[in-house]
Amino acid sequence: MADATGSGLSPVRKAIVPDAGDDWAAIARRALPHLPEAEAVSALQSWNLHLFLRAPAPPGSPRQGNPILPSDIVFIEPPLPA
Amino acid sequence: MPDLVIRNGRIVDGTGLPAFVADIAVRDGRIARIGRIAETGAREIDATGLVVAPGFIDPHTHFDAQLLWDGFAKPALSHGVTTIVPGNCSLSLAPLKAAHRTKLVGMFNQIEEMPLRAFSEGVVWDWESFPDYLARIRRGLGVNVAPLVGHSLIRLWVMDEAAMERIATDSEIAAMQQLLRDCLEAGAIGLSTSFVDMDERLQPVPSRYADARELDALAAVLGEHGRMLQIVPEFYDPDLTIARLDQLAELSIRHRIPTSFSPLFLNADNVAAVERVMARVDEQFARGARVWPQVQTRPIDISFSFAVPSLLFFRFPGWYRLIRFGTPEAIRAAFTDPASRAALVAEVAPFDALWPRLVLRHVRTAANRPLLGKTLGEIAALRGTTAVEAMIDLSLEEDLDAHFLAGGMGHNDDAKVGALLAHPHVHIGASDGGAHILSFSTYGDTGHLFARFVRETGALSLEQAVRKVTADTAAIWGIPERGLLKPGMVADITVFDPATIDRGPEVRAEDVPGEGARYVRESRGIAAVVVGGRIAWTADGGYQEAAGAIVPGPMAAAPALAAA
Repeated sequence: MADATGSGLSPVRKAIVPDAGDDWAAIARRALPHLPEAEAVSALQSWNLHLFLRAPAPPGSPRQGNPILPSDIVFIEPPLPA
Repeated sequence: MPDLVIRNGRIVDGTGLPAFVADIAVRDGRIARIGRIAETGAREIDATGLVVAPGFIDPHTHFDAQLLWDGFAKPALSHGVTTIVPGNCSLSLAPLKAAHRTKLVGMFNQIEEMPLRAFSEGVVWDWESFPDYLARIRRGLGVNVAPLVGHSLIRLWVMDEAAMERIATDSEIAAMQQLLRDCLEAGAIGLSTSFVDMDERLQPVPSRYADARELDALAAVLGEHGRMLQIVPEFYDPDLTIARLDQLAELSIRHRIPTSFSPLFLNADNVAAVERVMARVDEQFARGARVWPQVQTRPIDISFSFAVPSLLFFRFPGWYRLIRFGTPEAIRAAFTDPASRAALVAEVAPFDALWPRLVLRHVRTAANRPLLGKTLGEIAALRGTTAVEAMIDLSLEEDLDAHFLAGGMGHNDDAKVGALLAHPHVHIGASDGGAHILSFSTYGDTGHLFARFVRETGALSLEQAVRKVTADTAAIWGIPERGLLKPGMVADITVFDPATIDRGPEVRAEDVPGEGARYVRESRGIAAVVVGGRIAWTADGGYQEAAGAIVPGPMAAAPALAAA
């Protein structure tokens, strides 16, 4: 996603778009490497309720068990203070 | 001799400059001269005391199917709309293989609330390619059409079922690029995609399985022609909306394309959020990006019955599952069975403030006719019950064909909405014309703009408002030769009374194929509408000549584009 550094843009909440095959754990390892994986996954899920609470894929779907779609926005930090 | 002369009008030419009094001569479909016209025209319109403006352009519609049985896009044209953009939100009717027709109809039914019977009885499926679809709708076209290509359709064409399962391979992306290129060269105005919509199984639409590299590759093709990318972002969340508009801004700058996202609603509970979104829009424009938020003029009013699924109930899974997938018999049984009825009532209890405000607006039985126009709160008091119980009882008594109106559901603070509409980076649009036909009328948003936000509140001047829905829209979308009144331009012209222009009351019309109905609003204060130099509609003569065109049209026939 856009990096505000040097662009004249105000800071906004940091987000990424998934790489091919990304699930919570893969994003956690890449975006939050300083945290234990379980803790990082939990943090990501709490910051991305629009994905975590998504209805499950139908039975037989290749994305069963992974709610993240290739076009999704995934926040990698909590909401910025108002 | 001119083909048409419009005399003594107050010309509001679309530039935003002050109105002036003059005559307009039209010849061979174009504006020949503006000034004092001594010659008599083959046809004449007396515009004394009236405004003469460029025809209005509606940039967000879903008239794709209606154009197959109604080339005037009624009643939009009677509201002064001379150009429409169908194909929004990742959905168009082409390119479409025969094998995908059922899938597409299901998506239109789920997302745009278009009845299945309208497709089965109103559509003869005799095209697959985009050029063939355009050839099909050209017959009898009374309004100009600037069609978007739906990303979900492009994916389905290239990937079949896999479009709804996975990202594309490099070769599939290349095939999608070529298909999009072919559509643009045949006359498409751009590409639409969606990041929120669900299909008929309540699963993500195909465009949502595209990764960033696919979208970038398709945007690169749009960049070859300077064409539009329209998206539906996660509009319910400002952080997500900002992330999407940042993504759009990068594509806009990298590929030199205009982009637009819709909708952007301004409700009582999101004023600060909209301010944040608009601040980001301003910043991105300052960088040189083009990220146009579309804002509708009308407040949100939603009608529903339990005879067809309504998105109003999307937030109540128990209700939505029942009305989306249940048969009429199953719905009646759930409403009758004490246990399931109690569960349904409990599910909507947190929204107790909503239900008493709903108004009963349509019934079948004579017994309930005296209740028309009363709120569910009033009816509940008469019957000694609650508003939700009254809603269920009336639905059972009317064989599920009791219709209720939820008015003032949002976007209805005129002061704030007016200021937003006047913002220089706000694109007035998002009418959804031709969709959601039993939820609300999508016609007359321009009438509402001039009545409420020009005449009554003064949020915009007459000249500003005309410019927003004509020249600005044409420039944003790269629609050539339209949107301005000046010699040489195509003669798309709307003549209206600024003292009376408005949208009429919302009424039910039984004019949808398959014995269907829809909510419409007739125009008020529009005197005449000219499309391509021909009189397409007048207040006293109704619909007349059909001279609509596909715009921008095939590449070979189009002049150089000058997108904003």
